Order: sequence, then structure tokens, then C-alpha cells
Amino acid sequence: MPSVSFEHVRKAFGDATVVEDFDLTVADGELLVLVGGSGSGKSTILRMVAGLEEVTSGSIKIDDRDVTALPPRERDVAMVFQDYGLYPHMSVRENLSLGLRLRKIARQEIDRRVTWAAGMLGLAPLLDRKPKQLSGGQRQRVAMGRAMVREPKVFLFDEPLSNLDASLRAQMRIEIGGLQRRLNTTTIYVTHDQVEAMTLGDRIVVLADGRIQQIGRPIELYRAPINRFVAGFIGTPPMNFVDGGLREEDGEVFFRAEGMSIRVPHENAATSKAAESLTLGIRPEDLRLNASTTRAEGGPAGDAFTGRVVLVERLGGTSHVHFDVVGGSRMMASVLNDRLPDVGETISVGVPPDRVHLFAADGRSISNSASLPS
Amino acid sequence: MRAEQKSGSLMAAPYGVFLLVFAVYPIAFALVLVFLQWDLVTAPAFAGADNVRLLVHDGRFWRAVANTFVFLSIHVPLQIVTALGLALALNRQLAGRSFWRAAFFLPVVISGAVVAILWSNLYATDVGLINRVLVKLGASPVPWLTDPRTAMPAIAVMVTWKNVGFYVIIYLAGLQYIPRSCQEAIEIEGASAWQRFRYLTMPSLLPQHILVVTLSTINGFQLFIEPYVMTGGGPLRRTYSVVLYLYNNAFAYQKMGYAATIGVALALIIGAVIFVQRRVIGRAEAL
Repeated sequence: MPSVSFEHVRKAFGDATVVEDFDLTVADGELLVLVGGSGSGKSTILRMVAGLEEVTSGSIKIDDRDVTALPPRERDVAMVFQDYGLYPHMSVRENLSLGLRLRKIARQEIDRRVTWAAGMLGLAPLLDRKPKQLSGGQRQRVAMGRAMVREPKVFLFDEPLSNLDASLRAQMRIEIGGLQRRLNTTTIYVTHDQVEAMTLGDRIVVLADGRIQQIGRPIELYRAPINRFVAGFIGTPPMNFVDGGLREEDGEVFFRAEGMSIRVPHENAATSKAAESLTLGIRPEDLRLNASTTRAEGGPAGDAFTGRVVLVERLGGTSHVHFDVVGGSRMMASVLNDRLPDVGETISVGVPPDRVHLFAADGRSISNSASLPS
Repeated sequence: MRAEQKSGSLMAAPYGVFLLVFAVYPIAFALVLVFLQWDLVTAPAFAGADNVRLLVHDGRFWRAVANTFVFLSIHVPLQIVTALGLALALNRQLAGRSFWRAAFFLPVVISGAVVAILWSNLYATDVGLINRVLVKLGASPVPWLTDPRTAMPAIAVMVTWKNVGFYVIIYLAGLQYIPRSCQEAIEIEGASAWQRFRYLTMPSLLPQHILVVTLSTINGFQLFIEPYVMTGGGPLRRTYSVVLYLYNNAFAYQKMGYAATIGVALALIIGAVIFVQRRVIGRAEAL
């Protein structure tokens, strides 16, 4: 059963269109993540579901009921805000119970739900405190508890972790994911952080300029980005991009750019032989330093090229090696710490052909080399 | 650190001098005057506790205190309701918002005497605009400022009108301080417009309520220009305020000692009332 469905939803503020033809169905119990940069329209979409923004055209249904024109309180959704939106003059208990009191739920039922949520979120000892007496993480939990006690049809999360520090964010991310799976409530989660998107989402919608770029399971977006924007947005550290062109030699197809010539699998070339100008994308973790002794300098030899190391960032488990392709662009490889090159050293960089992504001049992906799990 | 302290004291010095000349000295002088008899012409004479004894048994003084409480009991609630109502209206997206804000603030900066004369005309029994409208509507005219029952309420309404812009600004600041996410959260949680006001707006404005009650009370105790210009304290002394009585004692009857005694008593009464108010509001906050 579809839980939330968007039908050609469009939103404009005056002349500026911020969401264009958003058409999507969220399954019952699914955790859907909307991810994108600022101005991508992700928060606007969430606010339209909540009823805080009007829909310019199109419709939104919750459980097959058209809610497009309904005020927020009749939609049966609960929202967790970036700054939590806790009522400062009320205790945690009052914050949790207000929505139920407004709806005239029986007192015993209110107590039962507040106790249940407080227990689940570890808020029991804090029930009589005011929000200002709580830490950021505790406030975040109260905001989630306030959503939970309502037992709504849909949870809406608007960048709920942005105000927390890094370690707390990682912890709360895990808690939110666990909680959502236990409650099995349909959830739409907005974030600009692609790590949150990757770790939390059953499916991810990548947005840019108010348009859907790609919808898919996290691993799909990672392995088979549909365009250059998605490729650059999903994955940390971000994908390397090199501008160049394709050339066929001796029955093999090579991607050529300043300082590099990379063999690419045949099936790509078939669709894009004419492509003079395109972009190669390769993830930092797919590059192999010193992995191949094949030298690229000499000609169309194959699957490696030469670079000069300019910076090594040691992160502990892995390290980021930044290097300049000889005569060409700057790239970065993410490698294990077994053997790290020194700054200034010339290295050979191996490129596994099956890890290469190719993008046409308009950003569209023209490769399907990265195979998907079925 | 020393140099810093020195320059700090130096920078604070002008205000320190101001405070000494216009606050510390007059207060000290008034406290001394309480124990003197002085007509501004002959040399002051020591009067012991005569002034205090006189004040305690002075029916006119207590009448003035009672009048002032009547004034406050109308002015303070009316001031809160009108200022809050206007602030809520002006906080919305409405056309010409800055014009309306300026318009409601204008009376605050107009001289009190000018406003008093203006309203004397509005309240005039035969030719006043208010009565003309009443007559048009079929009611009989009301002698606003000459009927003992309506005179003080009429003045209270006028003072409320004059000051409302000031308190609107206080409430507007408070309204804009309520986080947008709180307002949206309560809307999603199912609150009607009245419930949003009752559970979010009103309690969030508690600091503003305290400020408005305190300031309008202090301001109300100092009621002077309006009865001085409009009624001279009448009819039947019903608009005779404490400050008007103080003024007349000082400058009409040349009883500076007694006037100072009234002033000190007024300060003590204001202090006591504000103390009680704060306790009551504080208890409301704890609920």
C-alpha cells in the first residue's frame, strides 16, 4: 500500500520554481531520504507534505487520501525540526504530551504513550526538565519523542542532526535508523549530508535545482549514478572527474586526457564513439597506487597513468593521497595505510576499467560498467 | 588592568555625574525635606515627623491614592489587551505594515499636554466627536469628563491610547522572538488558532507581560498631565492623582516638605505594588 504519493507536484514562489514535477510514491514503512544541496527544494517538499507550504500544482496523498488542500493538523503527520522546535516554557513531559492533549486523548492513554516514548528514548529521568536544561542530543530525543507519541501516519525529519556535533550525529543517526525500523512508520527524511542519506535510507532521492536527479537504493546511487551531479554528490570523498575524449585504437577504446590514456570497456564506447568531449569519473577508493607497473606515459598502453604526489592526509585507517596527473588535473586516491608515497614522489596510478564512469557533455552517464547487485 | 580600570571609570564618569546631580541629590534632598517645613521663601525649619503624621491622616492624599488605583485597574488590563491585540495584528503580513506601526507609535512621541487638549475636545459633552457619534447612533450624550463615574475611566482610556504604541513594540519584539519551528510544530500537532495563542503565544510572551505590567503600573502612578490639563482633579476630586496632589502642595500651597513626603510615600507604594506584582506573576510562571 502506498503511504505517501506525490503526483506531479510543483512549487513556485512568485516566478521562481523551486520544485518541478516531483512524482514519487513512498511505500508503507519505508524510510525515504531526500538529499541535495541548499536550494535543491528538499525542505520545501517536506514542508508541502506537512502542509506548511502550499502546493502550486499537483497533489499529495497520504494513505490514498488527498491532503493537498488540508491544513497541517488534519494530515496526521509529525515533524522533527532542525532546531527541534521544542516549546521552551514547557517541561519535557508537557512537550511530549501537548499534541495529545490538544487532540483530547484520554489522560491514561497520554501517560501510557509518554512513558513508552520516554522509555524508548531514555528520557524518563528528564521528564520534568525544561528544554534549556537539556543537551543538544537530549533535545533531539525529545523532538523525536514528541513525534512518536502522536503515532502518526508519517514522520517528517527536516535535517534533524545538523545542529549536533559529529560524534553525536553519528550516534543519533544510528538511533533514528533503529527506531524507524522498530516503529515501521513511513518516514521522509531530509538531509544535505550524503552519509546520513546512505546509511539511513531505504531509498534515496537526489535533488538538484528542484528536480529529481535519481531515485534508488543507496548502493545503486553509489555504483551507478545516472549523471555527473549524482556521481559527485554521493560518496565521500567525492568522485574524481577528468575531462577528455574517447579514441579507438587497435580495436580497443581509450579515454584520453592530458597525461592519461585509460582503456575503457567496449560496451561504453559503442554508445559513444562520436563523443569527442566527455568526462571520466573514478572514485578515490577505486584508484590503485603503484598497483600496476604499466606506464601510461609511453602511449596507449592501458590502465594506468603517472602522477606527482602533492599532499597526503592521514586519517588513521585510510589516507587521502592528492596528486597531480602529469600535465593534467588534480586527483585524489583513498588508500589503506600499508605503504604511503611521499610528497613530491612520482607514482603510478592504476585504474580498473570496470570502475570507470563516463559522462557525456550534458552530464548524463553513458556507462553502465559498474554492475549492480540484482 | 589598572589602565583599563582607569579609562573605564573615566568613560563612566559623565553618567556618574548625571546620576549624582539628577538622581542621588534630589532623592537625598527629598528625604531631608520630609523632616522640614519650607515655603521656598523663608528659611526651612525642622518639623520632626509632622509631615509624616499629617500624611497618614490626610484624607485627600488617600483619596488620590484610591483614584490612582482606580486608574490602574482600568489602564493596566486595557493596555495589555490593546497592545497585545495590535501587536498580533501588526505581526501579520499586511499591506502598509510600517505605516500602521508608525501610526500607532505616533501618540507616544506627541506631548502629553497636546494629547490631553485633543482628547478634551473629543470628550466634550456637547460638541465632542465621541458624543456626536453616540447621538447619531441614537444614544444620549455622556458627560465624560464632568461625571464623577466616567471621568477617571475616560482618562484611563486616553492614556492607554497614547501609550499603546510603546507597548506594541515590546510585544512585537516578543512575538518575533518565538521560534518559527515552535509555531509550525504546534500547528502540525493539531492546535487551532486559539490553542496556538493559549499554549504558545501567551506563555512565550511572559517576559513582555511582566515588562508591560511593570512599566504601565509605574507610569500610571505618575499620572499628572492629563488630570492637570483636562479636569484639574475634578469632578468631586475623582481624577485627583497623587502626583497632582504633590504638585499642588509644592507649587500652589508652597509646602515643599509635605510635597516631598508625598513623593517618598508614592515611591514606597510603587515599590510595594511592583513587589506584589512580581510575586504574583512569578507564581503564575511556576505553574
